[in-house]
Amino acid sequence: MTRTLKLTGQGLALVAVAGLLGLLVWRLTHQTHPPKIGGPAPNFALRRIEGTGKLNLASLRGKPVVINFWASWCVPCKGEAKMLEQAWKQYRSQGVVFVGVDYHDVTSDARTFLSHHGVTYPTVQDGSGMIGDKYGLTGVPETYFVDRRGRLVGTHIIGTITNQVSAFRSGIRAALDQ
Amino acid sequence: MLRVVAVAAAALALAGPAAACVHPKTSLSYLEGQIMCPTCHTTLDMSEAPAAQQIKAQISRRIAECWSAKQIETELVGNFGQGILAAPPHKGFDLLAWWLPLGGVLAGALLLAVGVWRWSRTHEPEPPETEHETDPETERRLDELLARLD
Repeated sequence: MTRTLKLTGQGLALVAVAGLLGLLVWRLTHQTHPPKIGGPAPNFALRRIEGTGKLNLASLRGKPVVINFWASWCVPCKGEAKMLEQAWKQYRSQGVVFVGVDYHDVTSDARTFLSHHGVTYPTVQDGSGMIGDKYGLTGVPETYFVDRRGRLVGTHIIGTITNQVSAFRSGIRAALDQ
Repeated sequence: MLRVVAVAAAALALAGPAAACVHPKTSLSYLEGQIMCPTCHTTLDMSEAPAAQQIKAQISRRIAECWSAKQIETELVGNFGQGILAAPPHKGFDLLAWWLPLGGVLAGALLLAVGVWRWSRTHEPEPPETEHETDPETERRLDELLARLD
C-alpha cells in the first residue's frame, strides 16, 4: 500500500514536471521575433474599418506599401495624420498604397478619428493587437515600408513621421525602387 | 402657444440625455475589474493608459445607453478579441482555466489527507510494555539468588 502510494506520488510529480517542461518548450518555439528589414513583411487579413470585408496584405503584392500603425487614443498619431494623407495623395499616382492599421482601438472612436482627420486611404483594424505583435510593435505610431515583392525595406519608423521626414521619404523611395 | 411649444421642446432636449437610461444595468466600477487594458495588460481599474481611458469612456457611453454588462463585454470582445476579458469564458478549451486550479486544489487536499493519515499511523502510541519474558539463564540465576536469600 505504502509503496503504491509512493510510486503514484512520484509518477504524478514526474507528469507535472514534464507538463511544465512541455509548456516552456512550446513557449520558446512559438515566440514571435520582430521581422527584419529585407525579410518578408508579416502577412495579415484584417477587417476594414470603413466599408466591408477584409484587406489582405498579400493581395497588394506587386505594389509598394506603406503600413502605418496608429490608434485614436494616441496623441502623436493625430499629429501625423494630415501628413500621411498628403503623402498618400502625392504617391498614389506612382502606385504606392497606404494602409493604416488601427491598433488596440475602439471601432467607433477609430471611425471618428478617420473622419475628423480626413483619412481616405484604406484602414484596417487590429483590435487584438496580434498583427502589431507580429511586426514587433513597441507602441504607436510606427511605420513600415514594403516593396513590390513583399519585403520590408527602408527604415522602420518608430514615432511620428513628422519628426523623421527624410526617413519617411527614403522608405517610400526604397519601396518604389525595389 | 408658441412659447409653450418652445418650453416643452427645451425641456425635452434637456431631459433627453438624463432619460437615456434611468435604470442602468451595470456599472463602470464593475466592468473595470472585468476588462483588461490591451496595451498594459492589467485590468482597467489598475490602468491610466490612454487605451484604458478610451475603453472606460466607451463603457460609460454604453452604460448610459442601458446596455448590460454582457452586451458591453460582447462588443469589446468583437473589437479586441477574447484577450480583453480578465477572466476566460466558461466554455470550450477555456473551461480548463477554471477546472485545472480547482482540480489542483482537490488533488493537493487529497495528498495532504493521505499524508496525514499515514503519518498518524506511523506515530500511533506504542502499546504499554507487557510482561517481559526472561531467558532461561537469567531465570536460573534469579532462582539461585532467591534460594540464597532464603
